[in-house]
Amino acid sequence: MYTLLFKSFFRTKIFLFSLVLLLALGIVSIFIGKQYLIKQQTNIEAAQAFQIESIKQNVDYHGEDLGLLLYYLRFTLMKEPSNINAISIGQTDVNPALQAVTIRGLEAQKYDTDFENPSLLMSGNLDLGFVIIYLFPLVLIAMSFNLYSEEKELGTWGILAAQTSAKTKFLMQKLSVRAIFVLTIFTFLMVTASLVLQIPLGAPLLAIYVQGFLYLLFWVVLSFWVVSFLKNSSFNALILISTWVVLTILVPAIVNNFIVNEYQLPEALDAMVEQRDGYHEKWDLEKDVTMTGFLEEYPQYASYEVPEDEFSWIWYYGMQHMGDLTAKATSKELREKLLLRNKVSTNIALFVPTMHAQLSFNKLAGTDMLSHLNFLDGLTEFHKNLRVGFYKKIFDLKTADAVQWDNYNAKFYKHNTEFSWLLLLLPTIITILIISIFTFLNFKKIS
Amino acid sequence: MRKKVISLIARQLWKDAFRSKVMIITLGLMAILILFSSYTGWHNYEDQNHIRTDVQEEVQESWENNPDKHPHRMSHYGSFALRMKHELSVFDLGMENFVGNAVFLEAHKQNTVNFSEVSMSSGLLRFGEVSLAMLLKVIVPLLLFYLGFASIARERENGTLKLLIGQGITRKEIVFGKWIGLYSLSLLFLVSIFLILFFFIVAASHGMWSPQSFIRYGILFVSYLAFFGILSAITILVSAYSATAKGALVKLLAIWLLFVIVLPKSLQAAGHYLYPTPSKIEMERAVESDMKLVGDSHDPDDEHFNAIRDSVLRVHNVNDVNDLPFNYGGYIMAQGEELSTKVYLKHQDDLYNVYSKQNNVERYSAFVNPYTAIKNVSMAFSGTDFQSYLNFKSEAEAYRYHLAQEMNQLQMDLIPNKGKEAPNKISSEYWKNFPPFEYEFLSVNKVIQNELISIIALLLWSVLAIFGLLKLSSNLKAI
Repeated sequence: MYTLLFKSFFRTKIFLFSLVLLLALGIVSIFIGKQYLIKQQTNIEAAQAFQIESIKQNVDYHGEDLGLLLYYLRFTLMKEPSNINAISIGQTDVNPALQAVTIRGLEAQKYDTDFENPSLLMSGNLDLGFVIIYLFPLVLIAMSFNLYSEEKELGTWGILAAQTSAKTKFLMQKLSVRAIFVLTIFTFLMVTASLVLQIPLGAPLLAIYVQGFLYLLFWVVLSFWVVSFLKNSSFNALILISTWVVLTILVPAIVNNFIVNEYQLPEALDAMVEQRDGYHEKWDLEKDVTMTGFLEEYPQYASYEVPEDEFSWIWYYGMQHMGDLTAKATSKELREKLLLRNKVSTNIALFVPTMHAQLSFNKLAGTDMLSHLNFLDGLTEFHKNLRVGFYKKIFDLKTADAVQWDNYNAKFYKHNTEFSWLLLLLPTIITILIISIFTFLNFKKIS
Repeated sequence: MRKKVISLIARQLWKDAFRSKVMIITLGLMAILILFSSYTGWHNYEDQNHIRTDVQEEVQESWENNPDKHPHRMSHYGSFALRMKHELSVFDLGMENFVGNAVFLEAHKQNTVNFSEVSMSSGLLRFGEVSLAMLLKVIVPLLLFYLGFASIARERENGTLKLLIGQGITRKEIVFGKWIGLYSLSLLFLVSIFLILFFFIVAASHGMWSPQSFIRYGILFVSYLAFFGILSAITILVSAYSATAKGALVKLLAIWLLFVIVLPKSLQAAGHYLYPTPSKIEMERAVESDMKLVGDSHDPDDEHFNAIRDSVLRVHNVNDVNDLPFNYGGYIMAQGEELSTKVYLKHQDDLYNVYSKQNNVERYSAFVNPYTAIKNVSMAFSGTDFQSYLNFKSEAEAYRYHLAQEMNQLQMDLIPNKGKEAPNKISSEYWKNFPPFEYEFLSVNKVIQNELISIIALLLWSVLAIFGLLKLSSNLKAI
């Protein structure tokens, strides 16, 4: 029976069409991922070279005065590249993967963006995640909307109904042929991606595969549910495409509008202004104001003298740090609100398979908002270590010779993907089960 | 063509459309969606502009409240430029949330425009946003296809088409009757959305009527009128040339997917692939190396700046820069600012040329995809396209440059050279007299120039649609 069903399926136009479409776009998306990885690598190499070059250059210009030299010098922290990013590029196209900072106020530097064409940001990346989330369901819909109605409309259903004892079983077999086909292409693309992009085998990759598999299974049972109403082809096509539009376009967009409006972020702009004013006003105030705040955090520098009517580096970098301290509370609020945005999104996504798939892909690929916030935390730590490492030498009015510059290469930040299998898989499994029950009840009614 | 017959056929299409329960539910859902996007669009516009105006005013206030000081301190104190939303962004969000909102303006340095909504998104934004324009561009076309796929194909399947022709109704009357019926259905959505939008524009103007906004509004309305005319024609044509209604539906759904989802995204990706964006670090390196070629004011042994010094000394017939009649530090910084800005802007222009090339791949597809045409026209006239953003950037940069150079001039005129007796500060009156940053949107003329290609494509499509309908009027198959 199955061989026959497969054979007849292979003869359909839609089979060839889907095969070509999915393979072509799937492979294109993998190469877009590859290009993204190459760009990432070039960037890293450029940053490494740039850092060495710029240290050398600036030491030449300002080597006599370490305080002045470090006013100019920028130090780079880069996310350690991870090839799995390329499956779901997520937020990494807008959130820079590397940040070069001076030891001056961090708040004014950490949100600086990379260059990206906003048109591309708007249309989104054509990554493998997109092909899985958007295009695979469409192909499934195209192959199953007339599963029953085709037979009915061609007049073959009557003959089949007379011959086959279990009509439901026949339809299920017919559907499973299509499902197996789609899932095989999906598996093939995942294997190709892991080979072409050289993604190490591990829990995140496996999790993406399982999540993708379940997501497609969700569309299989959904299509079957619609078929189980035994309506005509046009009705099925309408319902399925509408469902697709609702799940991949409308609901996520509505949720997004809701979140953007509900959790506005004036803190971002406030922190930006607070930092500037917190630093600059100190120029016009008694030096004590700066030094009290600065020494509270760094009492080890209390012995340095700060002349009242003269410029000194301890005062200058103290002022810079005061800018960050002034903005600290607001900056923290911003971070918390961003986390809240993320939490609300993931929670709502538990009920919407498309959103859940997208957000899980991003999380597993390390391209979600959370991983960027962690990177910013890493950057804050990096910046702090730089400052503390240089402070004493600057305040002692040393020259560039006092610093071992070889230790100041561009540094990597390591990201760890942590996730819970249960939260990842359960939502989709439950949705599949619920729809299956409805479908079962529908078929029970008719047979 | 008899008007009465045409209106009869058109009315019949309306009746058929409203007979089905699905249509009533869909209409209800559309009404909810329109209300939801109006509410969120307006809310977002009001709140964001409110927040940004507050910050912009706060920034100006703190600028003015600076005490007497050295002007160069003020050019480092700098200012911020906040990007205001155009009132028509309530209609079409366009790239609004994919571009930055605030930039710090200081001497010597062009900062990035930060805090775009997308950079603060959990990733959901990539699914898209609901706006009134999105409903018109994405959802209504799909509805139109649903409503119209059967219009001619089913009549033929049922044999009623033959009957109509047999009764002496001309093919032209049938084709245009159906088209007008479907077109007028789409106008239901168009008109209600534009009515809402009208109130928003009036409300947003706060009594200050700006003719520019109404012209933009008018152009948007006309463009969408054309767009729906084209779509209705496509629906009728596909329905007429398909053997069965089911075939027509499948074809129309495929067209919708291709026009709205697959083509724009693939072409944008292709543009990006063909013209790779240089990274920020590459550009910064290029700027730095160009700076070294033309002259680096931070390099104490720079040839260019040493030459300037020597010539200035010669002209004023002195041996020491401190004997010059103006502040030499201010003079050198003004020269440096001019040079570095020129170099930076050149590289920035190169970058934007790459963006333009990337975008043009999709832009020119407007000639095969009317959705692309309306998308670009709609964004541009709503003030939410890339050019509007660039306009903000260039205005912000112009303000930054002006601020830095004004402070340099004050330093040259009022600050003594080293070793000369005079105060090192100038009065705070000078800051109070410096005008605040005010953002002006692009003029309608400029927008029309920017979007000429999309406008022409839309016009061509309109002509093609009418031509197609006329052609169909002569060769419509009755059986």
